[in-house]
Amino acid sequence: MDTGGATTRRVRELPPLPPRGQRSLPTMLSQDTTEDVPAPKHKKKRVKKETNGVDDTDDQGMEMGGMGSRRASGIGDHLTLEATVEAPPQRRRKKKKTATIDLEDDHADLVNGDTADQTTDGEEVVRKPRKKKKSKVVETQLPDELDVPEDDIISDTPPPLPQHSLFAAPQSQSQPVGKVFVERNKRFQAAERSEWRKTSDAMDNMADFQHMQPLWTTRDVSIRVHGGFRVFGLYCQGFLAGYAVWNVVMVYMLAGQHLTALSNLLEQYQSVAYPSQSLLYMLLAISTVAAFDRVNLAKGPVALREFITLDPVALASFLYFSALVLSLSQQMTSDRINLYSNNTTLLPTGLEHQILHPWVTVNLVVALLVGLAWILIAIRPETDYTEGYLMAMEIEPPKPDDKSEMTA
Amino acid sequence: MCTLHTSNYSLVLLIQLSLLSFDLFVNSFSELLRTEPAVQLVLFIIQDIAILFNLIIILLMLFNTYVFQVGLVAILLERFRTMLMLSALYLTFSIILHSWLMNLRWLNTNRFIWTEGLQVLFVFQRAASVLYYYFYKRTSEYLGDPRLYEDSPWLRDMFSRVRQ
Repeated sequence: MDTGGATTRRVRELPPLPPRGQRSLPTMLSQDTTEDVPAPKHKKKRVKKETNGVDDTDDQGMEMGGMGSRRASGIGDHLTLEATVEAPPQRRRKKKKTATIDLEDDHADLVNGDTADQTTDGEEVVRKPRKKKKSKVVETQLPDELDVPEDDIISDTPPPLPQHSLFAAPQSQSQPVGKVFVERNKRFQAAERSEWRKTSDAMDNMADFQHMQPLWTTRDVSIRVHGGFRVFGLYCQGFLAGYAVWNVVMVYMLAGQHLTALSNLLEQYQSVAYPSQSLLYMLLAISTVAAFDRVNLAKGPVALREFITLDPVALASFLYFSALVLSLSQQMTSDRINLYSNNTTLLPTGLEHQILHPWVTVNLVVALLVGLAWILIAIRPETDYTEGYLMAMEIEPPKPDDKSEMTA
Repeated sequence: MCTLHTSNYSLVLLIQLSLLSFDLFVNSFSELLRTEPAVQLVLFIIQDIAILFNLIIILLMLFNTYVFQVGLVAILLERFRTMLMLSALYLTFSIILHSWLMNLRWLNTNRFIWTEGLQVLFVFQRAASVLYYYFYKRTSEYLGDPRLYEDSPWLRDMFSRVRQ
């Protein structure tokens, strides 16, 4: 089979082969001749097997002659031979029927395509000698007008790639040329394949690197924000405890012993009452949210169990929420004190005590609750049940079993 | 499959937390800024729009998750149902309270307007606001979960559990 003396291999650049499934289409088109399909193919194979270097020329000549006669008579047998070949060469042949060189090319297509199809199941070893043989014949026997241009000939074919698995995508190059055309600035420009591959490989590696080692994931952002708010909340809780205690102490000092100097309190405190109430609400809101964050309140049953078992953090969040509601309930009285200078009828003399006494008491209770809650939080400032959940927001690496399942 | 980029997530989180901060600021100090009723009205309108905007952002983020796109809406709803309900409740409370306050104070800002009903609504709205802040902040942090944005063993596990 091997021609022996051939040192250089000449393979014409082939159009990419269509997948095997599409080959049924031409057969369908030429239905009238489908019965004849197996016979010529079989015959051709047998002839090819028998040939050696000299017989090839006869074979070639016979086939060419046959095609010439077929061309004169129309389709007929020609189609039966072509039924197993892909559609594009057939179409081309119809267009340029007079060009002999084209015919020969198509014949080469036919032979090579056939052999390529035969070797898809791993007959790589058989493929090489046949290609060599055919190309050698083309080189030696064709007349000058049928000579293949030098540009089309590639002396160094790429080494055959090992076939990994039955269903893997073909890994060979679609174009066995060194140049590829890359679209740049809305124009296709020629570029060396090797360089292009290098750059694209580098980009792939970079993408892989970014995929594998993201600097800052969304989970990290979440944890960072959560941690930052926890620290901010801790400061707010401390400030709130101090502010509430200071507020109560100031109220009691202004009200005098046994709350006997309430008019003095109203005069001094009325400009501070409403801003104080607003500040108290803001601090309480932040503190409550921070305390809820620690106890992971959204997990209802867990939070309830922690509260029943008197977990300090759960207790603190409850105290903060109670203090918030109590503080809000005094909004009306605070506004009354605020508007006291404009409208003294809001706090009629004699009834001041009746209105202000609950307000002072509530302020005291709020201060106590807030102080106690802050102590509970400050004992264990690192306790945070939500953070563990945020930490768990991670894509665990797939198990080996899953991996094999996915590739299968 | 669409993954969530860290920069995009950080930006969205920043917007959400800014809107929450603005909301807290208006809730805290709107009573102090009542001398000019128009200012208070604008603040209230912006606040309500901010709540609505926050809700839309959360919904868009939920729609953007892979879990939602493959149709496992139940998993997301189970996680974030409380937040969605609280947001709607808080928005309702806020709009009612703002309308009531503006209606009573529009002509005379220094009038004493408090009644028992208004006081109760005020307490409910402010208490709901704190719960809303907590749940919203928690949800926006949980939406940074990378498992929500791609296929993972965790999601397959959840899927099999849902099918059962």
